[in-house]
Amino acid sequence: MKKTVDVAIPLGPVHPIFKEPCRIKCETFGEQILAAEVELGYMKKGIERIMVGRPWQEVMFLAERICGICSVIHNFVFIETMEKISGVSVPDRAAYLRVLANELDRMQSHLIANFSYCYTIEHETLGMYLLNIRETVMDMLEYLTGARVTCAYIVPGGVRFDPDEEDLSRIMKAMDKVEEEMLRYIRMFEHGPLIGLRSKGIGIMTAEQAELVHAVGPTLRASGIPSDCRSEHPTYQMLGFTPIVRTECDNFARIMIRFDEILQSIDIIRTIIKTLPEGKIRGGGTIGRGQTTHRGEAPRGELTYRIKSDTHGRIQEIAIQTPSIMNIEACARYMIPGGTSVADVTSAYISSDPCIACTER
Amino acid sequence: MRSILSYVKHMASVEWIKTFFFAKTAPLITPSHFREFPHVTDKECTHCFQCMMICPAPGAIEVIRTEKPGEWKPVIHLGHCIRCGLCVEICPELVLDSGRVHTKNAQDGTYMQFQFHITVNPVICMGCGICSVACPVNKEIDPQLAAKGTSTSDEVIMRVYKGINTVFHEEKCTGCKTCEEQCPNRSVMVARVLEPLQITEEP
Amino acid sequence: MTLLQSFKNAVRQRSIHVCYVDTGSCNGCDIEVLACLSPRYDLEQYGIYVHNNPREADVLLVIGGVTPQWEDKLKMVWDKMPEPKVAVAIGNCPISGCVYNRPDSLTRPPAKSYIPIAAEVPGCPPRPTEIIQAILSVAPLIFKDWEIRR
Repeated sequence: MKKTVDVAIPLGPVHPIFKEPCRIKCETFGEQILAAEVELGYMKKGIERIMVGRPWQEVMFLAERICGICSVIHNFVFIETMEKISGVSVPDRAAYLRVLANELDRMQSHLIANFSYCYTIEHETLGMYLLNIRETVMDMLEYLTGARVTCAYIVPGGVRFDPDEEDLSRIMKAMDKVEEEMLRYIRMFEHGPLIGLRSKGIGIMTAEQAELVHAVGPTLRASGIPSDCRSEHPTYQMLGFTPIVRTECDNFARIMIRFDEILQSIDIIRTIIKTLPEGKIRGGGTIGRGQTTHRGEAPRGELTYRIKSDTHGRIQEIAIQTPSIMNIEACARYMIPGGTSVADVTSAYISSDPCIACTER
Repeated sequence: MRSILSYVKHMASVEWIKTFFFAKTAPLITPSHFREFPHVTDKECTHCFQCMMICPAPGAIEVIRTEKPGEWKPVIHLGHCIRCGLCVEICPELVLDSGRVHTKNAQDGTYMQFQFHITVNPVICMGCGICSVACPVNKEIDPQLAAKGTSTSDEVIMRVYKGINTVFHEEKCTGCKTCEEQCPNRSVMVARVLEPLQITEEP
Repeated sequence: MTLLQSFKNAVRQRSIHVCYVDTGSCNGCDIEVLACLSPRYDLEQYGIYVHNNPREADVLLVIGGVTPQWEDKLKMVWDKMPEPKVAVAIGNCPISGCVYNRPDSLTRPPAKSYIPIAAEVPGCPPRPTEIIQAILSVAPLIFKDWEIRR
């Protein structure tokens, strides 16, 4: 006689799917998941404590290394916060170049997130295609800034290096190639029957649940709520930006939003290169004393920096709120339980794009 | 949709069989525009130590004497350097080089400028004079700087005057922070203020 | 060594399993290891297979400065691996702590005080070509004359 027993299954720190260590404890009843709990704490380095008492040229590199996948946006939001404290303004050409670096970084982060998802549902072919096209994007980042990851491109008052005509034409050609390949891969993902079986209708989080748990980023926009911090940024408003929203609330919608955002980034980059104004790239200015809050849109959601600085621009108090803190809680509470199989735990978890290094700095 | 016959026709050639079994992807080299670990050129280093002041990674760069008398050179420790390129940008003699940093700086007229500010907290400072005695620039200006930080000359950066440490010439400071490290209760602090600038063309 | 043993070692040299352990890093070196698997810097053409099971691995990649939670667990993962085995440290963090090497941080570098490390790849993060060069230079040494050395 068979009996279904309650078992607590741990998905441990060292796991073929996880790039970063975290532990998910799922309580099951046969094959159904009743509840899940995420246990963190393997990556706490105390970055905010090291930042106290240091000037911007040392804190900038620490802020970049909070998360290596979305390093340009941490650099961007930190420098913008320091400029807001001291009233430093940025010339037009530098503002456009900052957005160019930001969008290139967003594209490569979305490609890694979708590769992770395809790897989880065992579709390695499509995953490797995405990883291959990501190398073209990294090459463009290398031409623009000089490094692939942790670029250190944005400084108070402007940017560090100016691309010449040859670099910009190279980026335009690469964007054409990336767009052609991305349309082909999106068609493969949308119309694949087995992909649809494993992604549609799995990991559902309704709009009310998303608002209750304060989810952010593509995880929120897949549930039908149009909320994006880039709509409040002056440079993005000049480029005509509107957020992308879907209403299906499942894994499929989250992955498709990331694909659509890659195409949107390609359009933004083309507009920037066509309308790039002439002028200086550094406006000068020193950081002073004050306190403020500023937010920006990382590839995973909304990123907030709260900084208080003393007379010569050294940090006195700092608090950073990263998007994965809210998204991981949303995932553990609403997306994983209610699933019909243990095999869906990893795919629901990876589709919400967690970044544990951001969560515990 | 390519049919099976077209695949078989494609694979039945010697070229394809040779590439299938023996080709590897081409040996990949690092492109020249990548910001590598800075390498030391032959220009003369004036040991101003600005590269050591700007480096964000602890223990990555050191400026030390070489075997030739009177010659100084920066040494980079590979396990600590984060390849940020700040030391390459700030050196006034262009002793270090990496990637396209120097060509871009020459093209755009961009440079970085350091300013050092010393602040003394008058409430906590007890006038012990350790900071004035430890300062290496003070020692060069007035070799007879006595214990307790008193001095006869007014050209020193700071000295103990009327019971507290007072700063006279802030512009001579090189930002080494020796005074801040030696102070027993953190009352003297040095701020390294960096400003990235670009030369404005005269209209 | 008999002919069979040298034949076995020669065959095993061309098929190496790699396990990686992230002991608290920023993820930059992690994505560069993933980029090594992409079709451009293909790592699998040399017979190297990256998965995450210490029980069937020959090479252990250590990434990140060691955080307090990982101090005993790193030794446990190393002990679980069967002989012959080799550990490679990737990035600046396991060598010296990178930018986190300040008095009040929570990391306790270097990683070689916990487990024996055979090769180090400096850089923050190192380029995929540098990682591949390091693994390929260490790979022939694991199985060479293993029965004699044991």
